[in-house]
Amino acid sequence: MENIIEINGLYYSYEDTDNYSAVIENLNLNIKRGSFTVILGHNGSGKSTLAKLLNGLYRPTGGSISVNGMLTSDEDKEFDIKKTVGMVFQNPDNQLVASVVEEDVAFGPENLSIPPDEIRKRVDNALKSVGMFEYKDASPSKLSGGQKQRVAIAGVIAMQPECIVLDEPTAMLDPSGRREVIDTVIKLNKEQGITVILITHFMEEAEKVDRVIVMDDGKILDDGRPEEIFAKVEFLKKCGLDVPQTTELLNELSKNGLNVSSNIISVEDAAEEIAKLF
Amino acid sequence: MAFLRVENLTHTYNEKTAYAKDAVSGVSFSAEKGEIIGIIGHTGSGKSTLIEHLNGLLKPNDGQIFIDDVDIWQNPKDIKKYRFRVGLVFQYPEYQLFDETVYDDIAFGPKNMGLNAEEIDIRVKETIKRVGLDFSYLEKSPFDLSGGEKRRVAIAGVLAMNPEIIVFDEPTAGLDPSGRQMVIDIIKNYRDTYNAAVIIVSHSMEDMAVLADKILVMNSGKVAMFDTPQNVFSRNEELKQIGLSVPAVTKVCEILREKGIDLPKSIITVSDAVQHLLKLKQGGGTVD
Amino acid sequence: MIKDLTIGQFYPAKSLLHRLDPRFKIIILILLLVFIFIADNFLSLALTVAFVLTVLLLSKVPLSMYLKNLKIILPILIFTMLLNLFYITDGTVLFEYWIIKITTGGISRSIFMSARVVLLIIISASLTYTTTPNDLTTAIEKLLSPLKFIGLGGAVHTMSMMMTIALRFIPTLVEETEKIINAQKARGADFESGKLMQRIKAIIPILIPLLISSVRRAYDLAEAMESRCYNGGKNKTSMKQLHIKAGDIISLCVSLLFCASVIVLNLYF
Repeated sequence: MENIIEINGLYYSYEDTDNYSAVIENLNLNIKRGSFTVILGHNGSGKSTLAKLLNGLYRPTGGSISVNGMLTSDEDKEFDIKKTVGMVFQNPDNQLVASVVEEDVAFGPENLSIPPDEIRKRVDNALKSVGMFEYKDASPSKLSGGQKQRVAIAGVIAMQPECIVLDEPTAMLDPSGRREVIDTVIKLNKEQGITVILITHFMEEAEKVDRVIVMDDGKILDDGRPEEIFAKVEFLKKCGLDVPQTTELLNELSKNGLNVSSNIISVEDAAEEIAKLF
Repeated sequence: MAFLRVENLTHTYNEKTAYAKDAVSGVSFSAEKGEIIGIIGHTGSGKSTLIEHLNGLLKPNDGQIFIDDVDIWQNPKDIKKYRFRVGLVFQYPEYQLFDETVYDDIAFGPKNMGLNAEEIDIRVKETIKRVGLDFSYLEKSPFDLSGGEKRRVAIAGVLAMNPEIIVFDEPTAGLDPSGRQMVIDIIKNYRDTYNAAVIIVSHSMEDMAVLADKILVMNSGKVAMFDTPQNVFSRNEELKQIGLSVPAVTKVCEILREKGIDLPKSIITVSDAVQHLLKLKQGGGTVD
Repeated sequence: MIKDLTIGQFYPAKSLLHRLDPRFKIIILILLLVFIFIADNFLSLALTVAFVLTVLLLSKVPLSMYLKNLKIILPILIFTMLLNLFYITDGTVLFEYWIIKITTGGISRSIFMSARVVLLIIISASLTYTTTPNDLTTAIEKLLSPLKFIGLGGAVHTMSMMMTIALRFIPTLVEETEKIINAQKARGADFESGKLMQRIKAIIPILIPLLISSVRRAYDLAEAMESRCYNGGKNKTSMKQLHIKAGDIISLCVSLLFCASVIVLNLYF
């Protein structure tokens, strides 16, 4: 199977809303095994709902999501799906369970009835892979936001998932914390081949990924490689997204008749592109 | 003399214990009415401790804070009146909303000031407009609002006290671009209307470049720089050493300068950069 | 600041007591608590004091930490002493004035009772000082695990999960409370003055935000736990395995020996 996740004609609406409007409407999407996908959208675009549908926390109102061929609507497969697709959430304080880092990381494997020796190994490896091994005996309340998120990632890794979904993991972090988390996720994708779906409204975080999906109003508005998507600056702004200064600068220059392309995010590449003019 | 003067401020946590630690030490800066001061510094650099002194929530171990040339701790019994003269909007202020209606929540500060019902009513109605919401919101529960609306109501709760100095800690954290722009507009509008001194703590160098008249750079509890954004952001290397950065556009211009393109060091906004680059390209020469 | 209060009051050190299996520590504690009250003559009391002092020394926790606890209960201690001193009237009368009557019986009784309270506090503190809250939770869960044979396994697990989550979130909530207090103070809220009713009303602006954020945290945490395959503790394994070591057995034997000695001293002297 080339695709780890296949979404067909997905509809979702909250049961308790007065006006029965769909949060997600007729959404079709396949995620390739081992790929790194970024889903961009502003607050309320339906992207967080989609995240929670991916590991079966929410079940589709219509259509289907299959993970490794298992339907998320199939209650018998609940744990297999959650084991395959791990989730990291936005608020670093609200997803750690135990008051010691290593015990928190062990929580998932313990629930999966893994033998103690094996858990020990998994916990140590997971903490090492996010660079938090030296904090294994620390209390989460003493860690920075970025460190807490890395512990949360380790907690997911210890369950040995094939895919990780991160729902705005950097929204509450400072710039250095944001960097830590994104670097960690990139590394996991590259070195361990874990499929990553990163949901965010920071375009910068989509710079080096395989695929960018733009969402608004519960629909996919655009889907392509980062350089294709980032060329459409005005469109992205209309979708309520954060356009990086570099892209913005190139876009302004090109609007003023200079021959530069605006699908660039990194500072170095932007400088290179402008230097060509002189 | 400047309207707000902070002189040699030092605060030590856990004084007289083995854990004693200077959170801020020897900090001095000043702000005029109508000025926007940006405070930057990485997490733990003492920013939060510093701003909690400005309205008397924390008492300095050493040093003074003068507002209108009066030491705010001159008469400790009067310290509470400075809570109203200096508004303090904390990070994620929507988490402090508590009352049944938006009206009552905004009225909380003015009520504590001891204003009469009529004056409170004027303040609440004036402020709700100021944050871009209409009167229909006043009777709603603050907990039924969207994230961005909650943020604006929480800010209104502080603005309604009409403070002469207003301090914001990360006012745009967690908002999307439209929400961010809204909050920035509210801040500027308040400054313009009341000629208030504004102090903003932020991680966004890009926002600071556009907003601030002066930037205070904090590092390990001390003032590393206090200067105009242009001058602060031209010291890229020093900022990098203390874990801070400059706006991306400033970085781009620096690389271009290294490549021999004649751009000034003072470019900190996109529009600045566009202007300079266009002139360079058209004129083929230098720009002033 | 409230933040500096350490919950459970664990004191990190490398001592014999710190290394003991927490299950054994709890069992030994219970034994000691019982025998502190069984010791009823001066000899057995002296032995108990000696034993508790040894425990105290072995814990490598500074004496001042224990004294801090005693300071808190000082009023109760004095009350116990005085009550026994005046209330017990057997033995020889040493002093009598108006309705006050001090007897040898009263004195010995008051010494016994206050010594017991002091020993009780010291020995309980030595458990929390030398055992991390997490180890305590694990140990309690393990000790109560036989309850699963009478169908209470779920309850035991739920209780220990609740303790774990409480330990995890107490510092977070304390920090949050401080933030909310500061934010409301910045809007001129007054928590320090006024009559009782006013003060109670003043807490509302702290309580409501705290309640709302706790509910939000609870929802978030539930989703996070569910995502990590939590199913109420069915077939849950545990990374941390407690292993009984020679030291644990020896400590238990020494404690049993102490208990036996107390009984002997009580009976024959």
